[in-house]
Amino acid sequence: MTSDRRVPRAARRAVPPGLLATPALAWLALFFVAPVGLVFWYSLGRKPGLYQTHANDVLTLDRYREALGDTFLTSFSGTLRIGVTGTALCLAIGLPFAYWLAVKVRPHRRFVVLALVLVPFWTNFLIRTIGWQVVLSPEGFASRAMQSLGLIDAPFSMLFTRGAVLLGVVYNYLPMMILPLYVALDRIDGSLREASNDLGANRWRTALQVTLPLARPGIAAGLLLVFIPLMGDYVTAAVLGGARGNMVGQLVASQFQQAQNWALGSAMAVVLIVVIALTILATAAAGAVCTWLLTHRRRRELAGIAEGSAA
Amino acid sequence: MSSSPTRNAVASGRRADAGDGKGSVELRSVSKSFGGVTVVKDLDLSVNPGEFLSLLGPSGCGKTTTLRMLAGFEQPDSGEVLISGAAVQHLPPHKRDVNTVFQSYALFPHMTVAANIAYGLRQRRGIDRAEIRSRVAEALDMVQMTRFADRKPNRLSGGQQQRVALARALVNRPGVLLLDEPLAALDRKLREDMQVELKLLQSRLGTTFVFVTHDQEEALSMSDRVAVMLDGRIEQIADPYTVYERPATAFVAGFIGQQNFFDGTVADAGRAIEIDGGTVLPAEPVTIHGSGAAAVRVAVRPEAVTVAEAAPAGPDGSANALPGAVAAVSLLGDVLQYVVHADAGHELLARVPRRQAGRLAEGARVWCSWAPSDVHVFPAEVTPRAPIGSAK
Amino acid sequence: MNHHDHTPRLLAPAARVAGLPRRTFLAGLAAAAGAPLLAACGGSSGSGGSGAAAQLRAYSWSAYDDPKVLAEFTAKHGPKVIVDSYSSNEEMIAKLAAAKGTSGYDIVIPTGVFVPQMAANGLLQELDHGKLPNLANLDKAFQNQEWDEGNKYTVTKYWGTTGFVYDTGVVKRDLKTWDDFFDAAQKEASGKTSLVDDPGEICAMLCFARGWHQSTTDKAQLDQIETFLVDTLAPHIAAFDSSPGSSAIPQGTHVLMHCWNGDARRGILASSEQDRWKWVLPGPKTNLWMDNWAIVKGSANADAAHELINYVLDPAVAIKQVDFVGYGSGVTGSEEEARKLKLGLIDMIFPSAEQVATMYTGVINEGQERRMAIVNKMKAKAGA
Repeated sequence: MTSDRRVPRAARRAVPPGLLATPALAWLALFFVAPVGLVFWYSLGRKPGLYQTHANDVLTLDRYREALGDTFLTSFSGTLRIGVTGTALCLAIGLPFAYWLAVKVRPHRRFVVLALVLVPFWTNFLIRTIGWQVVLSPEGFASRAMQSLGLIDAPFSMLFTRGAVLLGVVYNYLPMMILPLYVALDRIDGSLREASNDLGANRWRTALQVTLPLARPGIAAGLLLVFIPLMGDYVTAAVLGGARGNMVGQLVASQFQQAQNWALGSAMAVVLIVVIALTILATAAAGAVCTWLLTHRRRRELAGIAEGSAA
Repeated sequence: MSSSPTRNAVASGRRADAGDGKGSVELRSVSKSFGGVTVVKDLDLSVNPGEFLSLLGPSGCGKTTTLRMLAGFEQPDSGEVLISGAAVQHLPPHKRDVNTVFQSYALFPHMTVAANIAYGLRQRRGIDRAEIRSRVAEALDMVQMTRFADRKPNRLSGGQQQRVALARALVNRPGVLLLDEPLAALDRKLREDMQVELKLLQSRLGTTFVFVTHDQEEALSMSDRVAVMLDGRIEQIADPYTVYERPATAFVAGFIGQQNFFDGTVADAGRAIEIDGGTVLPAEPVTIHGSGAAAVRVAVRPEAVTVAEAAPAGPDGSANALPGAVAAVSLLGDVLQYVVHADAGHELLARVPRRQAGRLAEGARVWCSWAPSDVHVFPAEVTPRAPIGSAK
Repeated sequence: MNHHDHTPRLLAPAARVAGLPRRTFLAGLAAAAGAPLLAACGGSSGSGGSGAAAQLRAYSWSAYDDPKVLAEFTAKHGPKVIVDSYSSNEEMIAKLAAAKGTSGYDIVIPTGVFVPQMAANGLLQELDHGKLPNLANLDKAFQNQEWDEGNKYTVTKYWGTTGFVYDTGVVKRDLKTWDDFFDAAQKEASGKTSLVDDPGEICAMLCFARGWHQSTTDKAQLDQIETFLVDTLAPHIAAFDSSPGSSAIPQGTHVLMHCWNGDARRGILASSEQDRWKWVLPGPKTNLWMDNWAIVKGSANADAAHELINYVLDPAVAIKQVDFVGYGSGVTGSEEEARKLKLGLIDMIFPSAEQVATMYTGVINEGQERRMAIVNKMKAKAGA
């Protein structure tokens, strides 16, 4: 009889606590760990001949030396500049918009505004981007409209400039910034802003001291959601920027598609993953240090009050 | 005799001459509506420096909107708001000499308790670091939260958060402290303790408190004066004793404490009121404008009702007395509460000290009676929103 | 040098991207997603092949066949032709090699110089000349190429050359040579110049100008190419666009555009101001290439594939294809036919004999990787 009672209990206990996470872990293993592992494995190999893409008969780090050449570093710095500027622009435009949406727009209208933000994204992103190419070309809509309005007297081309690249980047990635920011700002209790106001802080100080610090998780999520895919995206930049939109992703892709050198392409991909991860960590660390320095004095001025009383 | 309700009355408070001096509050003909619904109607209110004033009323009566107009979170549509003698209706919250304790406390979750309290001081110029530190320490000490100085608010209990919210507001030494149902989220025992503490703190500091509550016990026990609000107006403003003993309107009578209400008509030139199954004699003759048998509403407090098995022997015979049967008996601490079904159909509530009389059994035949001095008469057209006995 | 001779008879370039950049992007993405699936299911469908095929799968450069011609073929002979596109020979070869005969594709269009290695690696099936009676229509000049003696594996589909187009409204002088191109790119057309997105073609420009072999493996020459492209030319380049004809010419995006003759013709025909654009076959030398029909080893529909190849060798069909892409086909008399039909800008399709004499083909060699690296470096510099 004792065993009868124990069986279901044992069965219950036998369910490992991580069972619910299994599908997610399997997904991660299948679609993240395995491909990245494979890329890493290829990166240790070589391109044995003109018609073979990779071989791992000899394991070497030479591909990394090739990958880290001038070309990669120049391309990467260009990519980083577009990535950082684009992400910063998205934040600069997305933050006020998300604040407006979460705080000023009446709740029943928010859905409509959010839908308007998202509707363009029902179209394939390549088609949207090429649409901009048509709009921005010298014979395109923007140029014609400005000419007929008499604003300019000769066709102008914004296409294939850095401005066009940033325009495309902001256009394609802005919703990725707005959505997490909106969620974060929406979750901040309005009475906190009132309390700050009540305690003598004006609107800007309230934004800096209460709203922004509390929206930090949303800001971080937005920055990551824009920055990471942007660093890997070379299509937006190439379509609108031409030679000015050279991205390091293009370099990696060319190794796979044109040069058929999977070993070198893999090494570049691994370097790219590592460098992007380091960039994010460095930014996070810099942010943490800045916050610490900025609040350090204030924390010191209040430190030890609790201990003082206990003594 | 409270036969005509005094609307927006400004009863004399503990201290004279509201209107100037730090800590005074005055609202002059203030109105406010939201989306076509008028929430505050032509309101006049004046609070003396150092006074503890409660705005009491059911939800939707406009008490919170009134408080928010004082804080500056809402702008009145018309009228003037004066704080410490200066018109402030166009000033934003951060430029007003008031601080608010929010119902949800609204503590900044990303700051420690000490940083929360220091927040208001840091927004001002001319307060050096040493002073901030000493004032924060002092405020923490005042609410006995010193040892929690370095905690984040989410690691505090409700009562502790309440104290921090209080300290955060008071550390700025505002002329007026606004409290928006600050005790509503606390459990009963803690709430009663906090009521006492809050009152003692207010007496010690001498700061003007404007306290919004829907809890009449809370209002009565803490306030110097209570303003009872209904539908955006002040029904009565007076000290707690007056509000309780001499309610200005049937609504106030019903909202503060419990009442037995009878509808009747005036007879005998105002010297008697005929109700179903009996006659009620008021303390003084009722003066009703107009002629004929005016309809009135009569209120008698449960604790004024005597319950006895014998018919009352008095000069007026059956006046101020109704026969009936005991429907329910309950013991409320020191008091026995009877629910009596009168033969005429009324349901009466009576509260008698437990020691004063033997306990009557359910079903016992009894007479309920009361003295003319305990009778309040109101015009019948003022329909109390709160049903009899509903107020807490 | 160890290269092949410079005679015009031998045709074909290094890696080349034909078709529209946008279609190439789309096709590239689609191919990336679709090809493994095709490879997977092709194995089963390919093994049961016999008799009349329901469909033919061609793996080709994008926009390389007149859709009307394919539709007419289907109407007449039955099989529906499904075309997937690639953007380089290497990409196509890698896919076929990886699938090991199960790619599911029946037809590919390799550039001539890639044919021997593909045949040696068992990627191509020998043609049955008995099923290609129209092969007789192919001009002798396009038969028996060095890379496929006796047309054992391939039949010429198109031949073409490389030059540039410029906006005469901006560049008001006659450009004739590659040096003129470089000069204009650094002057009037600076920041308004595009190059074909192909390492072989980009590196070949200086070779043509200097008289080096376009597929040079000489280190000193390659170093000079790198210095010139990266330090001198890169800052003036606005875009790397393999098909300015599809949008840049009609929309007037650039002033000076490196391009292939068929693409240039298509762009000028689509422009609202044809006189504004001038096509140049630059001297002293330039490129010549040939793309060819070939049947994939393991094709389950080899009969239908032969049928299609035979069909387009019909002069009446061939001329439609020529008009669509703007490249010459090897079919005898197609130039005369084109002149008779008064096709637009016919001289761009059929260069004169003297012009053809300045053209020669590149080869596949170990310089490929270096050229890729040079162009990547150039792109990095242009984008910096």
